Amino acid sequence: MYLVADINVEICAATSCKLCTQFCPEANTILYNNEAGKEKGLKYGSAYVAVDRCKGCAQCVWVCDNMAKHHAIKMVMIDQLPNAALTDNVIYGEKSTTALLTSPVVG
Amino acid sequence: MSLDYVKFSPGFERFMPKEYRDMVEHGPFGKKVTVSQMGSFKEILEEHPMCAGCAMTLFIRLAIISFPNPEDTITVGTAGCGRLAISQAAIPFVYGNYGDQNGVASGLSRGLRLRFGDQPKDVVVMVGDGGMADIGFSGTLHSWFRKEKFTTIMLDNEVYGNTGGQESGMTNQGAVLKMAPLGKKFEKMDMLGMAKIAGCAYVATVVPNNPRRVESVIKKAVLIAREVGPTYIQAYTSCNIEYAIPTDKVMEDAKTVEDDRYKFSEYFTDEAKQFLADRYGYKEFLPKPAAAVTQA
Repeated sequence: MYLVADINVEICAATSCKLCTQFCPEANTILYNNEAGKEKGLKYGSAYVAVDRCKGCAQCVWVCDNMAKHHAIKMVMIDQLPNAALTDNVIYGEKSTTALLTSPVVG
Repeated sequence: MSLDYVKFSPGFERFMPKEYRDMVEHGPFGKKVTVSQMGSFKEILEEHPMCAGCAMTLFIRLAIISFPNPEDTITVGTAGCGRLAISQAAIPFVYGNYGDQNGVASGLSRGLRLRFGDQPKDVVVMVGDGGMADIGFSGTLHSWFRKEKFTTIMLDNEVYGNTGGQESGMTNQGAVLKMAPLGKKFEKMDMLGMAKIAGCAYVATVVPNNPRRVESVIKKAVLIAREVGPTYIQAYTSCNIEYAIPTDKVMEDAKTVEDDRYKFSEYFTDEAKQFLADRYGYKEFLPKPAAAVTQA
């Protein structure tokens, strides 16, 4: 098993800084969903991680902790994540993306 | 070299992989995208085999997003880490054989000018410090002296990262590396000074811990290279493997190095300033109104 980044939707949707999406070295790995916080009554959308592309460098954790000071991202073992986004389940929209969350470990 | 090359061939839509379909339908071609929109559109850069947490990859990702017209851009690279990511993008990539990249780009940019005339086609060279300052040194300087109109970007990781950690001309004096155990003997080469002497119209240093600044620098460099002359960007992109930087501390290191010896700097020729103001409406280079001058 290996570590991937996991973003806490409650903390992220309260702030909308989008810094992690700009500092991830992998393309299209941290994506942004404008609607993520709406159903929970939060103000903004939230970033989320397409875990099949995450290499586990934890650069986003440093950026979230030290630059944004939000502490919303943690590194988690991939089999400890009940639900996560995978690249195949990401749907691109006009100004945002959405992802169907499924179990990241198949079988 | 137009928007047509990112379309489906008729009848093949449903057989194309998801990444390709996303690129055609939600890619940045023909639109204006900025770094603040990252995470909400399909990027030109795809998955790549670079190391986890590599700052060079982050810079390449930001650079490719910042190209003013990605559909009219060709990237040129050479051996080294950078080409592993640059070649995994949905824009044409030309592999210049070791040290040839600026020669290849010179021919390419002249050919494109002959073929397409006034329609801007951008050539961007992105190579590492070894490929540019050591092996491709003469080719690079000669392309600048000849005033070839394209952008040269150095991905300066201050080491030969791809081959196990030998010192390069851009390594700092005294640095001890795996394949340079006695420490580097001479000073880091002053490529910025040489670019200015050789007549580059725009020279900048940048560190990828400020995505908006990277974007603005790349845009200016590519636009100036369309008509004014050669442009050069030197970017600090640390090698977290050879310099043993923990991957989650890469941005902290970038910040420290930026404050210490890689401060952001920009150099324009007057002609370049004039061109940006006249053609692309850059407000900071417009002549000040007469009233403001007299008051000051």
